[in-house]
Amino acid sequence: MGDWEWPLIIFTVLGQIGIGIILMLWWLDRKHDQLDANLFKQGVHMSGGLLILALLASLFHLGHPEAAYRALTHLGSSWLSREILLFLLTFLAWIYLFWMSRQQSGNRSLGLGIVSVLGLLGIASSAMIYVLPRVPAWNNVSPVLFFLLTTGLLGALCTLLFGRESLKAAQKKFLLQWSLGCTIASLLLYVIYATMLSVSIEGAASLNFLLSSPLFWARALLGWFTPLLLLVNLLKNSQVDKTNLILTVTLLAGLGEVLGRALFYLSATGIQITALF
Amino acid sequence: MSKQLGFLHNSEKCVGCRGCEMACKNEYQIDTTPQWRKVFQLHEDDFSLPTRMFFSMACNHCAHPECLRVCPVEAYTKRDDGVVVHDPNRCIGCRLCIMACPYDRPQFNPAKKKVEKCNLCYKRIDNGEEPACVAACIPGALELVEINETLDQKTGVLKTLPGLPSPKITTPSIRFIGPKQGKQIRRD
Repeated sequence: MGDWEWPLIIFTVLGQIGIGIILMLWWLDRKHDQLDANLFKQGVHMSGGLLILALLASLFHLGHPEAAYRALTHLGSSWLSREILLFLLTFLAWIYLFWMSRQQSGNRSLGLGIVSVLGLLGIASSAMIYVLPRVPAWNNVSPVLFFLLTTGLLGALCTLLFGRESLKAAQKKFLLQWSLGCTIASLLLYVIYATMLSVSIEGAASLNFLLSSPLFWARALLGWFTPLLLLVNLLKNSQVDKTNLILTVTLLAGLGEVLGRALFYLSATGIQITALF
Repeated sequence: MSKQLGFLHNSEKCVGCRGCEMACKNEYQIDTTPQWRKVFQLHEDDFSLPTRMFFSMACNHCAHPECLRVCPVEAYTKRDDGVVVHDPNRCIGCRLCIMACPYDRPQFNPAKKKVEKCNLCYKRIDNGEEPACVAACIPGALELVEINETLDQKTGVLKTLPGLPSPKITTPSIRFIGPKQGKQIRRD
């Protein structure tokens, strides 16, 4: 079984929230002038802060963080090299976006689009690092889908939370619907993923670990079922302005994703030598 | 790549003395925790008759090394003779190679915060010597061989043993001579 990979948990979750926020802003800005200038500024600042924290956290995973720049040297076959390159490019594009947010000029939508596309490619590369033939639980499309769903879910909820003053009712409703869609997709995908795991011995070991872990049930309750009920309730009763409820959903979904990511690393069982030693 | 060097391990000869492990530690003065070479015992019920057998394994210098593929800093290179060499000066200790190797052979050295592994004593090979583990093996169970079709066609040469990951993942450059079944030595 794997370990508590705190630097990687923080790096992946925070990075995905940061890029998710930009993605949501891009979507809300698709028809020009629909996005409030202050919201744009707030979103850019928040996503940048999260990206910086994420990149710093990733260094703590390395034995020699001072030599991290060397991780860019094997782009030909290493997904880790590609991930670092794409995250650095995302950050450079974010700097352009930051400059734009201060100047109040330039093509906002284009800037948001570039950061979103580069960020999504970075997230897909992050996930591809774990697609290893040695680890049957990861050697499929699920890491990519899980990482993208975290991006969509937490990006939308965080945008909704900090933009509660400036978002229009229709925009809030869209973000709630999007979050609900991501939560349902995440839950369904996990059910399919769990059924796939039992095909191999190592996958079955991962599944056993998950089902017997209290963390998994906490993740299910806090990260899927409670947010699902709250989101349905918010949408059904048109309570798009209930700040406390939105804050609760965001915190629960965030906690659920952190636990889910921890379980992702903890439950990994690799093919290994089973002889005695 | 002109050829592929690798190990041939004869489980019939191996007595599990761990002399190969010690020779490796001694040659490179490896710290306490990393174990580049390790002796394993096969499960007694892996064969049709109860059998107590050992095999010794270090890096398998795979034909398709996963460590080399995933390493972000190009710390791994494959020489013309097929030896997969790890350069600790390039390693940044991301441990992705450890995660990717089905044989758990790249080892993390917590003192140096870097990964280490067997480099098949390539400097000794270049000087015409045997690797330290091969030279130290008293019963002659461990040999340095060229992995090719001629070897694979020999009777009794196996590509894997029970309890080992499928060789399809990385095509390891190790061959085995398995235990002979049906031979019982009794001391009545």
